[in-house]
Amino acid sequence: MFALAASTAIVDWNAMWKIFLVVLIAGTGTVIVFGFLLLGLKLAHRLGTNDAEVGGSEGARAGGYVLAAVCGVIVIGVVVLGVYAMSQKPSSKPAKPKSALVIPAGPQVKVLASSQ
Amino acid sequence: MGSTTLILVIVVAAAASFDFTNGFHDTANAMATSIATGALKPMVAVLISAALNFLGAFISIAVATTIAKGIVSSSATAGTSGLFVVEAALLGAITWNLITWYFTIPSSSSHALIGGLIGASLAAVGSGAVSVHGIFQKVVAPGILAIFVCGIGAFLATSAAYLLIRRLGQEEARAGYRYGQIGSASLVSLAHGTNDAQKTMGVIALALISTGHLSAAHFTIPIWVKLLCATAMALGTATGGWRIINTMGNRITTVESPQGFSAEASSAATILASSYYGYPLSTTQVVSGGVMGAGLGKRGGVVHWPVVGQMVIAWVITLPSAGLVGAAAWNISNLFGKNSTAGAIVIVVLVAAIAFGLWTLSKRNQVTAQDLDRTSITPEIEAERAEAAGAPAVA
Repeated sequence: MFALAASTAIVDWNAMWKIFLVVLIAGTGTVIVFGFLLLGLKLAHRLGTNDAEVGGSEGARAGGYVLAAVCGVIVIGVVVLGVYAMSQKPSSKPAKPKSALVIPAGPQVKVLASSQ
Repeated sequence: MGSTTLILVIVVAAAASFDFTNGFHDTANAMATSIATGALKPMVAVLISAALNFLGAFISIAVATTIAKGIVSSSATAGTSGLFVVEAALLGAITWNLITWYFTIPSSSSHALIGGLIGASLAAVGSGAVSVHGIFQKVVAPGILAIFVCGIGAFLATSAAYLLIRRLGQEEARAGYRYGQIGSASLVSLAHGTNDAQKTMGVIALALISTGHLSAAHFTIPIWVKLLCATAMALGTATGGWRIINTMGNRITTVESPQGFSAEASSAATILASSYYGYPLSTTQVVSGGVMGAGLGKRGGVVHWPVVGQMVIAWVITLPSAGLVGAAAWNISNLFGKNSTAGAIVIVVLVAAIAFGLWTLSKRNQVTAQDLDRTSITPEIEAERAEAAGAPAVA
């Protein structure tokens, strides 16, 4: 119990599980989707070259391109989301408290702004 | 030039120098696996990383105006006396970065800066200036969790990638994953520039506020500060931390392109998510965890635990060691009198001498870009080697 209480005080588990979820979706998920992108390209190219081993129709070839395109869009979307997350990360600028924004400056403490 | 202005100039120069060491120390985080698999030539990799680090410094509007918030009392770094503490902290962090670089160990530059600040604050103000709870909450716990979160993600991603290789065919898959690696490594570089350059911008901004050169009420980072930090980090990155790149890319595990992509994609996701949710994790430890996870994720993959052990020891001692150097720097400076300009100059000269000594020593067992160039290993050769080693065969 003590260990659990101590770990709760030290670790922000609420943020941690969100981070872990993002890692699973955006990290692991992107690698899998990228693999399917390669699979789609392979399928399309193989069928395009009349590979006897694979065979198949024009429809299957188009399916390969569609799979690759969809996966490509997902991967690019994840990258765009990543760059967006970078630009939107929370500022560590000291937030304005309700009464006043105080920045200690050695012996002289300056009251810089009041929100009211 | 007044003494306060001179100290301000020294602090700004020390901050830029710290950014430079951060750049060449942490290039490995982003590009080591891309270099190790031959996806990119070493010089090309570090130049891409340098450009993205530079760009990253301008992406976010969020700037760390507080360093070691919740760990060190803000009063320790405020005012003119605070400038001396910040200078000692920066010099402690620079020295520790150079020592770990010499010993080829990837360690966190941010933790070195926090350690330097803790040491200098303890020396200047006393034990009341530091929160032990804050150290555990902001440094120790995230450090441990970063390895596991990214490691598990990379492990799962690698396992999935090798399952897909059965369907894809070895050569085509490996060639494809090399392109993926370049993209994911670039994202890590961009994130690194966003996170780390802005910490130093925050340090300089605080110094400018303390000396009255910047208004705290209408706070914006001057463009010259952004340019200085971004340029210093990009230049540091461009010089290439080949020694640490070698450790991260080649000594932890033998990285193949699917593993490299998995490690970097998981690292990018971890860094961006942690940054977005306001729970910053060390880039170095995230990527190290990713590389370990990727090493274990491949069937028959081997992680060189003695090397990992050395890294873990370095991570554990980074905080106290950088703290000791920071405290020593402050005490040496203080020997010349409280807030003495002469003392501030002496510690700069001492750290410059240490830097020169380590650089000279490193020439004895130099690691160069040519040593790390793996571009001659084509996807075909990589596939042959993997098959010889018992990796999943082509379906």
